Amino acid sequence: MKRATILVDLWVVLVYGFMYLPIAVILIFSFNASEIIAFPLQGFTTHWFGTVFTDTRLTGGLGITFLVSIPVSILSTILGAMAALALTRYKLRFRAAFLVMLFVPFLIPKVILAVSHLILLSELGIERSLLTIIAAQTIIILPFTSLIIASVLIRIDRRIEEAAADLGANRISIFRRVTLPLTKNGLMAASFIAFVLSSSEYVLTSFVSGRKQPLSILVASDFRFNISPTLDALAFLIVLANITLVGIGEIVRLKSRR
Amino acid sequence: MERSYLGTWLALPVVGAVTALCIAPLAILLVYSFFQVNFVFILKDPTLENYARLAASDTYRNLITKAFVSGGLVAAITAVIGHPIAYHIAKRVTHYKSALLILLLVPLYTGDLVRIFAWRVLLGAEGVLNSFLIWAGVITEPIGALLFSSLATHIVLTYNFLPFMVLGLWLAYESLDDRLVEAASDLGAGRVSSFLRITFPLTLPGLIAGGMMVFVMVVGDYLTPQLVGGVSGITIVSAINDLFGTAFDWPLGSAIAWTMLAILCLFFTLAALVISRSTWGRALMGGE
Repeated sequence: MKRATILVDLWVVLVYGFMYLPIAVILIFSFNASEIIAFPLQGFTTHWFGTVFTDTRLTGGLGITFLVSIPVSILSTILGAMAALALTRYKLRFRAAFLVMLFVPFLIPKVILAVSHLILLSELGIERSLLTIIAAQTIIILPFTSLIIASVLIRIDRRIEEAAADLGANRISIFRRVTLPLTKNGLMAASFIAFVLSSSEYVLTSFVSGRKQPLSILVASDFRFNISPTLDALAFLIVLANITLVGIGEIVRLKSRR
Repeated sequence: MERSYLGTWLALPVVGAVTALCIAPLAILLVYSFFQVNFVFILKDPTLENYARLAASDTYRNLITKAFVSGGLVAAITAVIGHPIAYHIAKRVTHYKSALLILLLVPLYTGDLVRIFAWRVLLGAEGVLNSFLIWAGVITEPIGALLFSSLATHIVLTYNFLPFMVLGLWLAYESLDDRLVEAASDLGAGRVSSFLRITFPLTLPGLIAGGMMVFVMVVGDYLTPQLVGGVSGITIVSAINDLFGTAFDWPLGSAIAWTMLAILCLFFTLAALVISRSTWGRALMGGE
């Protein structure tokens, strides 16, 4: 028994190490004082971050990313909350069908969804713009936000809502004064994760974006074909921003459980 | 749970959004798969020509087979790697359960391109791993086959989708009754036979759910093979991408896309049937 336990522990450590290996590598080399990304390390520098922050193309792209990702985050959180409420609080007649429908955008390969959006836009004569990016991203992020919010709603003690009803509260005030405050943290976590997913989405966005392009598209060809310490520093900054946002969201969500 | 119109009103905007932005585009994609392309114009006379071309083409058939083989392979690899992890999180950890799950999911939020960039830095001929091994004296010549190979593609795909497999398995392990495993060992079953005859069948729905997610995502992924796969990087999905870009044959691209969707749909239905027959699936559909 003892030996098997140690083996499982070792395996867990190894697999978690594997999951964080790429992140560790870009962390280390974003501070390495050499043009070449290779061992042995050459010394410490913050020079590469300076190069990233003075690149106006990148800072402009970041602005567009906010213009896209904030609306996507709000929209997908609202729609996700509606879906989660419908699933966890009401007996829907077509519950199974609704559940399947909710997860279709997650299960369809992104390239296939992207080319169908391309056809639809050309048939309807709609110019590609920030709005088409927002619409397309919202739908693929919806399954994630629904799931996160539903996981919070399921944990809420239904008796609190029932007690409020017994004490004479109507549906709207139960929602406003009981359900919403208890779900608030879940909604926040969902919107943070939605923002992160939106800002780093590439495949679908590249098909439906027009002349104004968010950061993820601007840096795509660099990331795809080049390797340089400046790109490494940029990659590390993106990872850091994403992990910070997701981390804050998850801490807030876990707090609501206690 | 109350049966009321409010639930329907809440679901309606969601249904509307998915219909407009997912079902409708896929429907029009299906319609396009019966069209033809003539020079730069699209002829809107319905024909089965595209599907006939597809059926007659060895290239496309091989690419489709390759995609599904890759999907199955990565699903199997992640299942083997994921079982001990899921078991550990579900049965051996109490305080840090949420933390371990979140830690597992965090690498997913780095974004496709950043992740692939990191792997290119790591696996390249003059990259981190090779230079480290040379520096440490393990090898003298860089291993070229690390990057731009089928091996690299499968390493990165495994990395990308392992967390989804662990999630599926973890849910199944959480609902596994430990007393059954204890009873088996009391009755004299060894560790292997109690895994094969108790644990494995009871966690099968989780394996299928996780495997299905991994399978679909591997089949649909084209960035990974294209960017780290080198010459092996041509996939059926990248072929669809090309037909909608440089090759300009939207109808043929649509036909390939819908063939893929139809096959995936078949797999889903089978998986859903198996899962819904288990107690686990019934609980899920019943609202828990």
